[in-house]
Amino acid sequence: MKKVKDIINAFGIWAILLVLFLFLSITSGNTFLTSSNLINMVRQICVNGVVAIGATFVICSGEFDLSSGSMAALAGCGSAMLTVNYGMNTGLAILIAILAGSAIDALVGLIVTKLKVPAFIATLGMMYVLDGLVLLMTRGTPIIGLPDNYVAIGRGYAGPIPYLVIILLIIVFIAAFVFRYLEFGRNVSAVGENATASRLAGVNVTLVKVGAFAIGGALSALGGIMLMARLSSGQPTAASDVGLTAMAAVFVGGTSVTNSQGAAFKTLAGALFIGMINNGLNLLEVNAYWQKIVLGIIIVGAIALDVYRTSKAAQNG
Amino acid sequence: MDHVENILSLKGVSKSFPGVKALDNVDFSVRKGEVHALAGENGAGKSTLMKILSGSYRKDEGTVEFDGRKVEVRSPKDAENLGLSIIYQELNIFQGLTVAENIYVGRQPKKNGVVDWKKMYTDAEKLFDELHIKLDVRKKVRGLSIAQQQMIEIAKAVSAHAKLVIMDEPTSSLATHETKLLFEIINRLRDNGVAIIFITHRLDEIFEISDRVTVMRDGCSIGTCDTGDITKAELITMMIGREMTKQFPVRHAVIGEELLRLDNISDGKKVKGVSFAVARGEVLGFAGLVGAGRTETMRMVFGADKRRTGKIFINGKEIRIRSPKDSVKNKIAFVTENRKEEGLLLAKSVRQNIVMAALSKIRTKYLLNYKKEQEYSKKYIEDMNISTPSENKQVMFLSGGNQQKVVVAKWLMSDSEVIILDEPTRGIDVGAKHEIYELINQLAEAGKAIIVVSSDMEEILGISDRILVMYEGEITGEVKREEFSQHIISEYQIGGKRS
Repeated sequence: MKKVKDIINAFGIWAILLVLFLFLSITSGNTFLTSSNLINMVRQICVNGVVAIGATFVICSGEFDLSSGSMAALAGCGSAMLTVNYGMNTGLAILIAILAGSAIDALVGLIVTKLKVPAFIATLGMMYVLDGLVLLMTRGTPIIGLPDNYVAIGRGYAGPIPYLVIILLIIVFIAAFVFRYLEFGRNVSAVGENATASRLAGVNVTLVKVGAFAIGGALSALGGIMLMARLSSGQPTAASDVGLTAMAAVFVGGTSVTNSQGAAFKTLAGALFIGMINNGLNLLEVNAYWQKIVLGIIIVGAIALDVYRTSKAAQNG
Repeated sequence: MDHVENILSLKGVSKSFPGVKALDNVDFSVRKGEVHALAGENGAGKSTLMKILSGSYRKDEGTVEFDGRKVEVRSPKDAENLGLSIIYQELNIFQGLTVAENIYVGRQPKKNGVVDWKKMYTDAEKLFDELHIKLDVRKKVRGLSIAQQQMIEIAKAVSAHAKLVIMDEPTSSLATHETKLLFEIINRLRDNGVAIIFITHRLDEIFEISDRVTVMRDGCSIGTCDTGDITKAELITMMIGREMTKQFPVRHAVIGEELLRLDNISDGKKVKGVSFAVARGEVLGFAGLVGAGRTETMRMVFGADKRRTGKIFINGKEIRIRSPKDSVKNKIAFVTENRKEEGLLLAKSVRQNIVMAALSKIRTKYLLNYKKEQEYSKKYIEDMNISTPSENKQVMFLSGGNQQKVVVAKWLMSDSEVIILDEPTRGIDVGAKHEIYELINQLAEAGKAIIVVSSDMEEILGISDRILVMYEGEITGEVKREEFSQHIISEYQIGGKRS
């Protein structure tokens, strides 16, 4: 029994993920464990996964960002318009969208650190601003006729592997690398746990937090571009859920300011977990509205479990 | 016969945490109506014992008897129901509520299902009369002194019919006259047959108030004596397991060239034109009353707070310090008085804490090198004798003295030359204090310039080469080692000039 507990503690979300995988493989007849279903499922989590990695940086630095879904919509629709309406080169349009996302969130970071506006308020405000901008730009109608190379990002494959999956994996590995091997990554988790102690140890707290926000913005923008590419059009409202689901992936993965070790992979697991639940409920033909209820319960349950485990650990040393 | 008189009796109680045996087969008993002091260094197991009694931890082995019955305390509520009250260092007081509300919180007297305010206030007044505490029970707690808040906690315990009250370092933040008042109340409780466990680091208080004393060391109960049968020296020997040669070890440092100089530093509020210099190998003490501006001065030197005026020189050259980052670059270190809030990442490992101010030293090119990180952290753990199961242990599980050593290790790792220590031994026990003093000596002997801010008169006289005294934001006196006396410093501390 103790062994089982140790394994769950060591692998956390990954162990739970494996259990869920086996459960679905057995209960769904032979619909779950097929290559087409699995690839489909993984494709669906890619957008959420990329945005969630951005959210991981922000959350590890001790803040959070409610506006990442709106940022995804802005960057997705914005880059779509640049290519469709202005005939801009796809690569350049995407680059501009990502840089703009990064710059806007860096500004949010400055508002949080310099003006001392709580992240909840600052990002809530930014969410409304961005939502408004998207609707102003698009007049609320989808942008159609995306160039083929734009659409390919969301629909193309390298052999059997979708481009989306490749992008997600690259992002996850880069993030894991930054957390483990770069001074910046180390400082993000230091600042997140105790900003005062970090400042007094010579860490530039403002720079670290602004940097985390900038990464969050860039990845939200990238996620939005991936989403629009998958939908083959710029949909102003398609990303409305993305921001909160991304945070859900971080929390379900088990990352917090005091527990930021292996954060990038934990977030990937969290995103997979949410995707697998949704996919499983679909296969089991559960009403789609139930999926939201289940996800809500899982988020609260995951945090409750984490708090319980932490307090247990504090009791046992 | 003995067990009849005991209100509390622990037999063979053990508790292990991974890698540490926090309590090892502890026997401990408290008689009805006695004041029983519990002494021991930090990490000796006192708090673990208290946490088992309060239900915060579960014991692994052993039995607890309370009032003649075998009991299992599973939660703080259980403890309260038994008649066991604990008054923690961090008081459990609601600042926004009145005194009476705090006493009856969670068990307010009720009439027809609603709170009977009149009865609550009259009950509270009666209670305070019995204990001879003078305090308006209708007053909000906010603004009351720590001592008065402590009285509320004691009254709460009495009103819950506590048969045993545990007080965890109740005097640590009290002034002398407040301590006296507390002792009067403790004596009154004892007369009423309430037993008291009194935990303290101040040995004098053990002799003043307790009937018996139990000493703990390394998770074991070393022994229990009648306080009248033991001397202070014997008590210290029991606590640290060896005879203390000297409280303040001898230093062989050579005072060299001037390293840091401040010229007319002020913040426009609490610090008014402070100038001083400190040399390599020198330990410069800062004495003064709380609020004299010593910490504020040091924070400006370190760049933690902005300064209005003043220049800072290192080796005679003016340096620019606008943030802690600048001071770290200029090899100035600041060990703050609140290590948990300002000095450590409690949830991170010892290793991560040691290297956090000197990440550039564990980098090869742009990448952090884990092997280097491990080597460095192991080296400091060994050099400084930090007691931890491994370099990967989270700092929160270390004792206070060891946590303080981790903070100092962090600054040694960043090659600091000027080291400012603000109340370096607060909340640290006798043995660990001695180690910190030895560490200060080693640093001075290695040619570093040391500044120590301390409110402990004995300490500042014992370790400094020279003492500056501050009063209301100004330096009112400088005392050289040959002239050290408590009298002169006390005089300067209240703004007096030398007569």
